Amino acid sequence: MAPSKKKHASNQPCVIPGGFTVLSLQFGSDSVAQHQLYVKEHKVRAEKCSHRPLDRTLFVLNIPPYCPEGVVKDLFSQFGSVQLVELRDHPGSFQESGPKLSRFFKPAAKQGFKVGYIVFHNSSSIKAAKSHPHDVPLVVSTEQRPVRTGVQKWIQAYTESFIQPDKLQQIVDSFMEDYDKRKEEEAEKQKEEAEQQQEDEEGWVKVTRGPKGTKARPHSEAANKKALQKEIRKKKRKELLNFYTWQHRNTQKEHIAELRKKFEEDKQRIALLRAQRKFKPY
Amino acid sequence: MIPPGSSHEKGEDEAPVKAKRSKPEEAEGEGVVYHPVKLSRSDLYRPPSADELNQLKEAESLFHCSLLKMQMEELLKEVALSERRKGQVDSFIQTVTRLLQTVPDSPEVEVSDLSWLSSAVKVPFLLVPKTTKGKFHMAPPASIDLVGSYPLGTCIKPRITVDLAVTIPADVLHPKDVLNQRYPRKRALYLAGLAQHLASSSDIGTMRYSCLHGNRLRPVLLLTPPCKDSSSFTLRVHACPPPGFFKPSRFHPQRNNIRTDWYTGSQTPLSELSYHIQSLFLNDSFADGVALLKVWLRQRELDQGTGGFNGFLASMLLTYLLITHRISNTMTAYQLLRNSLNFLASTDLTVNGISLARDPDSTPSLADFHNAFQVVFVDPSGHLNMCADMTACTYKQLQAEASLSMQFWDDPTVDGFHGLLMTPKPMIRTSDHVFQLCELVKLQSSCKKLNLLSELMDHSGNYVHTALPFILSLLQRGLGERIHLLTHSLSPEPEWSVESDAPKHKAQPPLSFGLLLNPELATSVLERGPSADSPKAAEFRQLWGSRSELRRFQDSAITEAVLWEGKSMCQKQLVPKQIITHLLQLHADIPESSVRYVGHVFDMYHAPQEPSTGEEESLLVVQSYDDLSRKLWRLEDLPLSITAVQGAHPALRYTQVFPPRPLKMDYSFFDRDKPSRSLVPKEGKPCPAYITPITVICHMEGSGKWPHDRLAIRHIRAAFHIRLGELLKKHHNYTCRPGPTHLDVWKDGLVFRIQVAYHREPQVLRESVTAEGLQVVRDNEEAQALEMATIHKPLLTSTLHGLQQQHPCFGAACRLAKRWLGAQLFSDDITEDTADLLVASVFLQPAPFTPPGSPQVGFLRFLHLLSSFDWRNNPLVVNLNNQLTAADYTEIKNDFMASRESLPVMFIATPKEKKLSIWTKKAPSVQILQRVVMLAAESLKVLEQQLMDGGQIQDVRVVMRPPLDAYDVLIHLNVKQVPLLSQAVDPPTVTFGRGVMAGSVTQAGGALPVIDYNPVALYLAELRESFGDLALFFCDPYGGTVIAVLWKPKAFIPTPFKTSQMTARSVEVTGEQVNAIPNVEAILEDFRIMGQGLVKSVEARTEKWSF
Repeated sequence: MAPSKKKHASNQPCVIPGGFTVLSLQFGSDSVAQHQLYVKEHKVRAEKCSHRPLDRTLFVLNIPPYCPEGVVKDLFSQFGSVQLVELRDHPGSFQESGPKLSRFFKPAAKQGFKVGYIVFHNSSSIKAAKSHPHDVPLVVSTEQRPVRTGVQKWIQAYTESFIQPDKLQQIVDSFMEDYDKRKEEEAEKQKEEAEQQQEDEEGWVKVTRGPKGTKARPHSEAANKKALQKEIRKKKRKELLNFYTWQHRNTQKEHIAELRKKFEEDKQRIALLRAQRKFKPY
Repeated sequence: MIPPGSSHEKGEDEAPVKAKRSKPEEAEGEGVVYHPVKLSRSDLYRPPSADELNQLKEAESLFHCSLLKMQMEELLKEVALSERRKGQVDSFIQTVTRLLQTVPDSPEVEVSDLSWLSSAVKVPFLLVPKTTKGKFHMAPPASIDLVGSYPLGTCIKPRITVDLAVTIPADVLHPKDVLNQRYPRKRALYLAGLAQHLASSSDIGTMRYSCLHGNRLRPVLLLTPPCKDSSSFTLRVHACPPPGFFKPSRFHPQRNNIRTDWYTGSQTPLSELSYHIQSLFLNDSFADGVALLKVWLRQRELDQGTGGFNGFLASMLLTYLLITHRISNTMTAYQLLRNSLNFLASTDLTVNGISLARDPDSTPSLADFHNAFQVVFVDPSGHLNMCADMTACTYKQLQAEASLSMQFWDDPTVDGFHGLLMTPKPMIRTSDHVFQLCELVKLQSSCKKLNLLSELMDHSGNYVHTALPFILSLLQRGLGERIHLLTHSLSPEPEWSVESDAPKHKAQPPLSFGLLLNPELATSVLERGPSADSPKAAEFRQLWGSRSELRRFQDSAITEAVLWEGKSMCQKQLVPKQIITHLLQLHADIPESSVRYVGHVFDMYHAPQEPSTGEEESLLVVQSYDDLSRKLWRLEDLPLSITAVQGAHPALRYTQVFPPRPLKMDYSFFDRDKPSRSLVPKEGKPCPAYITPITVICHMEGSGKWPHDRLAIRHIRAAFHIRLGELLKKHHNYTCRPGPTHLDVWKDGLVFRIQVAYHREPQVLRESVTAEGLQVVRDNEEAQALEMATIHKPLLTSTLHGLQQQHPCFGAACRLAKRWLGAQLFSDDITEDTADLLVASVFLQPAPFTPPGSPQVGFLRFLHLLSSFDWRNNPLVVNLNNQLTAADYTEIKNDFMASRESLPVMFIATPKEKKLSIWTKKAPSVQILQRVVMLAAESLKVLEQQLMDGGQIQDVRVVMRPPLDAYDVLIHLNVKQVPLLSQAVDPPTVTFGRGVMAGSVTQAGGALPVIDYNPVALYLAELRESFGDLALFFCDPYGGTVIAVLWKPKAFIPTPFKTSQMTARSVEVTGEQVNAIPNVEAILEDFRIMGQGLVKSVEARTEKWSF
C-alpha cells in the first residue's frame, strides 16, 4: 500500500488499473494496520436477476471476517442509504436458494474473507463510495457500534446455538408441511400431465414438447448405463474371436507385449529396491 | 529442527496434486520413485526372439518365489567384504606376521619379575597373588596362523575382526603350568611381550587389549592398521599353546577344582577347529548361510558380548547340522538359515546338549557337562564346552527368537525377509519391561550372600558373571507365570589400551534385564502359594521371606500368599517391579536404589501427583455408555424403532488421551440460560472446564416414511432428536438439549451426544438431477463425511474396542502415541483415528516382535513404525479382526502400486476399506509427513537413550516439547482462556477455577453444563478458515498455549490482481501492472482482533514476507 500512497495526494481516491478503488479499513480507531477494500460498480454482461440492479450495486472485495452483513451495511451507509448487502465466499452470480430454511438448518457459513454486493437506494452513492479518499480509513468497531470478536463473540455464538425444543418442533413441522405440500403439488402436476397424454373421448392424444423429465419415471444414469452394457454384451456375443488369422496374430502379439511390460515392471521394482539401499541390514 | 529447505516446501498446497507431490521428494535426494512403466509402442510390439520368449516365460513363473532369494542375495552383497577391503586386510596381516616373527629372544626370568617389560606396556592380567613359581622368557612364536571367520569367508561387515593365532613356543611353557593359573599368566606376559615389540613399529595404528568372550583369563591383543582405515577392521591376536601340549583330560569339567581353571586351554582347539571346518566350508552357500545367520543374530543383539551366540558358534552349529545330516551340501543359503533356525527352535541345549566329539568314550560325558554348565555344546575335542559362558536365559531367548522367526516365515502376510533380517531388535523395543542393575559393585556382596565363592574362583573373580545365573534363576522363580521370557544384556568385551591397566569389573555398563510379560497374569496382585501344611510351604516362605503370609481364601483354603500393592491400574503395571526389588533385596543384597526400573513411561504426560493409565476413567465412560445404550434400546413410543446404537468416540474404545471424567458443576460460576436449562460461560471469568461430548450414533430403521430429500431428512432427524430427548427426560430424568444435528444428554457427569442416522441418507446426498432431468449419482464430500461419521467411525470404534479386550495395553499405547502427536503439533494432520490405526498395526503385525505387553514398548514401536516405514512405496495394511488373507494383501499392494501417485501420501488399508485410505485422505501432506517421520526418529533415539542410560537425568518429557524455531509467527495465548491447561506437557503453576466442584456427581437431572466450548479450538477454526490459503496453523490440543504459524511461501509470490484471489492482500502498482501480496501487518493485527480475550501476544519471528 505504500506506493499508492506516494502516488496520490491526500484526500484523493486511489484508483488502481482495472478500475477498482482502494478503500482502507481498520478495526478500531487505535488499530495500527489497515486492510484494503477494493470497490467497483457491479458490471456484468448478463445479470438476469433483479437482486443486483447494475446501476446501484457496488462490488466489494476483501471484506474481513469480523464484518458480518450488518456491520458492512453500517460502514457503507455513510455513502448513502443501503438497501441490501450480500456477502459471498467467491464472486459469482446470484443463486436462488431452495425452500426457505430457518437459521438452525442452514449449513454453517464459512468464516473468512468475503466479497460483497452492496445495493444502494441511490445510484449516486456508488460515486460517493468510489471517490472516498484513500487515507481516511473506514472504522469497523466504534464506541457507538462495538463489534464483538474473540471470546465475547464465541460466548454469544454459544448462547445463540440454543433452541427451545418446541420451537424446533414448530420449525420442523412447518417445513414438513411445506414439503408435503410441494410433493403433493408435484404429484398432481405429473398426474395432470399423464392425464393429458391419455386419449380423450374422441381418441386423440395431445402430444406436447414440454421439458424432459416430466414423464412418469425419471431417467437415471444407472438405468442408462445398464441399458448400454446390455447392448455391448449383445454385440460381444455376436463377435467372432480369433477367427481370422490376423485376429489370432494380434492376440499373440498382445500377450507378448503384456509379458514384456510385466518383466520391465519387475525389473524396475528390483532396481528401485536396490537403489533405495533397502538391503543394508544395519 | 526443520532444515531450511523443507520448511519452505511445507507451505505447498496440501491438495494431492501429482506434480507437486513428487517434486519435494525428489529434492530429498532419494529420487527413485516407482512410476508405471511406459514402453513405446515399437518396443512393445517388436517381434520377439526365441531367447527373449524363454526369458519372459521364466521370469513370469519365477518372479514371486525367487523374490526372497533375490533379496537375500542383495543382503549378502551388502554385508560381504569388498575386494579392496580384503586386499587391505591381507597386506596388514602380512605386515603383522612379519613383525611378529622377528620378536627378539629375552633372558629367562621368574614369572613374577616384570622388569624386562617397559613401563609403556602393561600386562593384561590381574597379577594377584603376586608371587608364583615358574620361569618365563620371550621367544619368537612357533607359528602364526590365520583362524576364524576371515579365512573361511564368513566374515561380515561391520566390525570386521580377523583372528590371528600365535602359538607360544613350547620351551616357554611347562607341563605343570595348568596349575594355579600359571599358564594364563604366562600367556598374558607373552602378549605383553608381543605388544612391546609391536609398539616400536609404525605399521600398527592402535593397540588395545581385550579379552575373549569377556573372560579376563583369556586376554587378546587388538591391532588396527594406521591412519584413516583405523576403524575399518581389527586384527585380534590370540596366544595359544602348541597343539597337544596339555593333556585334554586335565580339563575334565568334573576336575574343575581350585588347582586348575579348566577352560584356560580353550584356545588350543580353536585353531584346530578352523582347519576342521574349513574343509566343510568349501561350498559357497555355507559361507552365505553363516553370514545370514550372523546377520540374524546381530539384529537380535545376541552375537556380541560375553555368553552370546557369536559367529563362531554359528559356524559350529552349521557344522554340527552337517555332520548329523540335518542339512546337506546342496542346500542354498536360505535353506541353511531356515534349517538352523528350526533346529534352534526345537532343540533345548540346556537339557539335551550336543557334541561335535567323534569318540564320545574317551571324553567327559554330556551329563558331566550339564552338571557344570547351563548350556552345552561340546567341541570336536570333546573337552571344551563352547557355550560355557551362556546363561540358560540367553539360550531360551535364542530359542524364542528362532521359533518366532519360523512363525513369521510361514505367515504369507508378513514380509519375512524384512522381519527376520532387516529389523533390529534392541532390548528396549523388544521387552515389555526393562530394568537395570546400576551399581555392579553390589553384586560382590550378593556373591557372598549367595555363597558363590567356588564359582567366583572359576570366573577368576568376575563377580558379575558369577552372580548373573543365580540372579536370573531367582527372578525366574519369583516371576514365574507372569513372564514369558526373561532376557538380559550381554556385557560387552572390555577393551583397554596397552598402556593402562585392565578396567575393573564394576566399570562395565549396567546390566539390563528385559521381561516379556504375560498380559493376563503380569498385573495380578496376589501370589498364591501352597497350602499351609504342604511341604512346599517352607520353600515358598523361603523365597518370599517376610512378605509371605497365611491367608484364607473364599474357597476356604488357607494358603501361603503374597499380596502386592496395586490399587490402580498404574500400580498394578508395576507389580513385577515390586517382586524384583523385593527378591533382589532379600536374596542378593542388592538395594532398591541400584535397580533402575524402566517400565513406566506411560505416566509421562500425567501430573505426577495423580499418575494414572487412564484405564479406570475409560472404563467408567464405557459403563455409562453401555447403560445409556440399554436405555435407548428400551425406549418405546418412537415412530420408528432403533436398529443400532454405536459409540463413535475414542473414549469408547479406550484410546482417548484424557478420558472424560465425571464432573460436578458449580452453578455460581456460570450465567444461566433459563429456558433451555443450560449454563453459559460468563465473560470475564476464566474459560470453564472443557466437556467433551461423547458421540453416539443411533441408527433408525429404514421405512417408506423417510422422505427422499436431503433437507427433509435433516428435519425429520431433528424431530427424532426432540422425541428422544423427551422420552429420556420422561423415563430417566436426564437433562437433554435437542438440536438440529444432535441431542446432548447430561448423564453421570458426562455428556453424550446422540446423533440419529438414516442409512440411506448418504445415497440421497449423492443423487442429483441434472438440467436435462437425468438422475445421476455423484460422490461428494458431504456424503463422504456423513458416511465417515455414521458408518466408518462407529465400526472402527467397535473393532478397536475388541482389540483392547485382546491386548490390555492397547489403549494406553494409543494414548501415549496421540499425546506425542499432539505435543509435536501434528494432531490435525494425523487424526485420532489414523493414530489409533497405526498403533493397532503395531499390535496386529508385531513382526519381528511379539505384540507389545506394556504401553511403553507399544509407544516406542509406534515411533519406530512411523519413522522407518516406507510410506512412499508400501501400503500399511492393518488387518483388523484378521479378515484379510494373503490374496487380499497382494491385491492391495497391486492396486496401490498401480495408482500410487493419486493416493494419499500415508496409505492405510483396512479390511473394510482396501483401496482409498479414507482415514488419511486429507492429511498429512508430504511435507508434514516428512517432518513427522523426522521427529519420530529423533524422539525414538532420545527416548531410547534416556531409558537405557542410567547416567542421564531422566526427563522423558523432552520428546514432548516441540521445536518451535521453525515457525514464522507464534501466537501466545492467555492461559486463563485455555480450558485444557492442566493437560499441558509442562502445566504452569497457576491454576484457575473452572466451575468444577468436588464431590460425587449426580446421575441425572441438573442444568446442562457448558458443552464443547473451547475458545482455542474455535479460534483455530476461524484462523484456518480465514487464512488457510496463506498459512498453516499448529497447536497442541492438549493444553497448548502457543499457536505456531507457518507462512506458505507460494502465497507470498506477488500475483497479478484477480478478483477471486484478493484475500487479505494489498496491491502494489507499477505502471499498468497491479500485483497483490499478502498484507502481513493487517493479518497480524487480525490475529489479535479475532482472538480478543484469548490472545496474549503475537510474536512475529521472521521477516520472511518482506522479500
